Amino acid sequence: MTRLNLTQANINRRSALTGLLAISASGALAACGQSSAATEAVQEFDVLGYAKPTKFFSGSEMRALGAMADTIIPSTDTPGAVEAGVPDVIQGLASEWGDDNFRQYWREGIRRVYKTLSGETKFLAMSPEEREAVLGAYDAKVYAGEIEDTFYRDMKKTVATAYYMSEPGATQELAYEAVPGEWIGQAPISKYPKTWAT
Amino acid sequence: MADFDFVVVGSGMSGGWVAKELCERGFKVAVVERGRPIDPVADYTDMVDPWQMEHLNLKGPDTYADYPIQSEVYAFHSYTKQFWVKDGEHPYETPEGQDYKWRRGHHVGGRSIMWARQSYRMSEIDFTANKRENFAIDWPVRYADIAPWYDHAERFAGISGSTEGLEILPDGVFQPPHHFTIAEEKFKAAVEASFPGRKVIPGRAANLTQPTEEQTALGRGKCQARDHCFRGCSFGAYFSANSATLPAAERTGNLTLITDVAVHKVLHDEATNRVTGVQGVNVKTNEGVTITGDAVFLNASAIVSPLILLNSATEYAPNGLANSSGQLGHNLMDHFSGARGYGRMPASLQSHYYGRRPNGFYIPRFRNHTEEGEGFSRGYGYQGRIYRNSWSGRVDRGGVGSDYKAGFREPGEWWFGVVAFGEILPRFSNHVRPHKTKTDRWGFPVPIIDAKHSDNEINMVRQATRDTRAMMAAAGMDLIRGDDPDTAMPSAPGDGIHEMGTARMGRDPATSVLNGFNQSHDIPNLFISDGSFMTSAGCQNPSLSYMAFSARAADHAGKLMKDGVI
Repeated sequence: MTRLNLTQANINRRSALTGLLAISASGALAACGQSSAATEAVQEFDVLGYAKPTKFFSGSEMRALGAMADTIIPSTDTPGAVEAGVPDVIQGLASEWGDDNFRQYWREGIRRVYKTLSGETKFLAMSPEEREAVLGAYDAKVYAGEIEDTFYRDMKKTVATAYYMSEPGATQELAYEAVPGEWIGQAPISKYPKTWAT
Repeated sequence: MADFDFVVVGSGMSGGWVAKELCERGFKVAVVERGRPIDPVADYTDMVDPWQMEHLNLKGPDTYADYPIQSEVYAFHSYTKQFWVKDGEHPYETPEGQDYKWRRGHHVGGRSIMWARQSYRMSEIDFTANKRENFAIDWPVRYADIAPWYDHAERFAGISGSTEGLEILPDGVFQPPHHFTIAEEKFKAAVEASFPGRKVIPGRAANLTQPTEEQTALGRGKCQARDHCFRGCSFGAYFSANSATLPAAERTGNLTLITDVAVHKVLHDEATNRVTGVQGVNVKTNEGVTITGDAVFLNASAIVSPLILLNSATEYAPNGLANSSGQLGHNLMDHFSGARGYGRMPASLQSHYYGRRPNGFYIPRFRNHTEEGEGFSRGYGYQGRIYRNSWSGRVDRGGVGSDYKAGFREPGEWWFGVVAFGEILPRFSNHVRPHKTKTDRWGFPVPIIDAKHSDNEINMVRQATRDTRAMMAAAGMDLIRGDDPDTAMPSAPGDGIHEMGTARMGRDPATSVLNGFNQSHDIPNLFISDGSFMTSAGCQNPSLSYMAFSARAADHAGKLMKDGVI
């Protein structure tokens, strides 16, 4: 058997996954390096606010994550990240899928980025426009290489992945055919103008 | 009186063919499968939508713990892992400092469920390669011997492909090919213009693009262009033992499928020098099982089939049954992959495509054929695809908000990806042997798999890497990512999932295990028609050859039995 699964899409998907998994190994070290900032950040969160013991992220962590996710992928003419259930997917990853390193990496990452984005006005208290301006400025620095923030990029990739695998992301924002029925190698873009969801 | 006319060990790619051919000739056949039955409704996951996938279909820590080796396979993910063995339950060893990637599943159909469906004939150039180079031993068959059986296998299995008239890659009985994207068409034109000996053709895949009546009658349907094949196909649209050969065998009323029985030994009667059946263990109950037959086919893979015979040693055959040549377990081959290249392909963004093609393009071997190779014999073919960059290729990109979101909605640029698959030479030193003391939990010896690449494979992958770059440059691509021609290495032995050669066929019983009909030189009613028989590897994906040789061997064995010879 040989592999034909080497479209760029798959390669990038795989490296996205590798990124997520590398987290498990590197998470503990990263956590040590940021411990004082993390401790400080922890104080802003209601650590006891777990809705259920099976949910790893607290209510305040989920609100912070949701605000960031919805700023990365807002609702437009199609639903945004929160409406598509993205924070719940990430809650599931932390609660049921990942190991302790993964959980720690994400908890500290969410808190640290949230704190970074919050000035006198907390990120959650900002209007959507303010959130986009603040997060956009931070994102620009990360992608310009001025700030190295692997967690932020992992979070962004995960938010986007969860969004485009969600039903609204796949079927409304993009185009999805569960059973295409046939392969047509060439067709005008006007006939199929959207990115295929899978 | 034996229980069956034939006992076939293994229900996968080759065993299914043996069962079909023998059952259709009126023989009573037992197929003994070490794995579990497959229930398409419960086991196939091809109807799961992306949003139904738990945890984004990411492989988690538990998966890596259970499947450290299998999880590396391109076809392995959370919705296909039911088809792969849990590594901890099925140990094997390699010598210190060596690696071997043994990828497999234990269930009815074997790897015919998870295979990549690429189906190519070997050519006269392949069947005469050892002889021309005076390397290893000559094949006892020529292309003309097997060509009608390739026809037979293709007609029944259903192979999509294009007729090209190439000596290196003979044409066959094809269903309509999967057409190229506009970028692939442009790549083809550029490569063929720059390198007159090279061709870029549609991949030949065992996916039905125009089912025949025979296929429809088996409940098989047209390929729905979903490209979820590794999850199993509810439409039976790609060839598997489960969709095609086993149902064909079953409908004759002559098939008995015995699952969850691991065969450990082939039984042999010294007085008559005949095998009389197989002995094994029910892997669920640990009870011993004996199944008798007038002849035995081994189709348990090129790792397990020789081990069963080596484990069947008696006073009569102290080095293992059917091993008077001493070649059993040796000459282990595979195909290496390597020479990967990824890049942006300049082509019209006004063209798109519809559906998900379970296939791609293929570049047949040209080295040591139309062009010389530097420092190696034999050659390699390439497989690749050129698609618009999908959403997942664009997630790690600057920007937030509606601009970032808008950057996904339209198809991205054209992205090219290619990988070469190269021939590995048969070498005696590359082999599988049973561990002297360690067994699995059912009492079967732990395999020791000892295989290394030689300079031939290393020089080959480096040439292939140079060729990858040259073809990308000829098509106007920048190399975005790819192997370095100075340091490229072939993938680890076994990684091609094409293990073969461990009971090679040949004319001389002193140097080969099987004759040209997959029949043991030593024991006339013993046959092996999994990849073990291969005398050399070619660089083509081998399953189609296993099908053709299995059908031919079963036909021959049937004739011998009818004539009272075996």
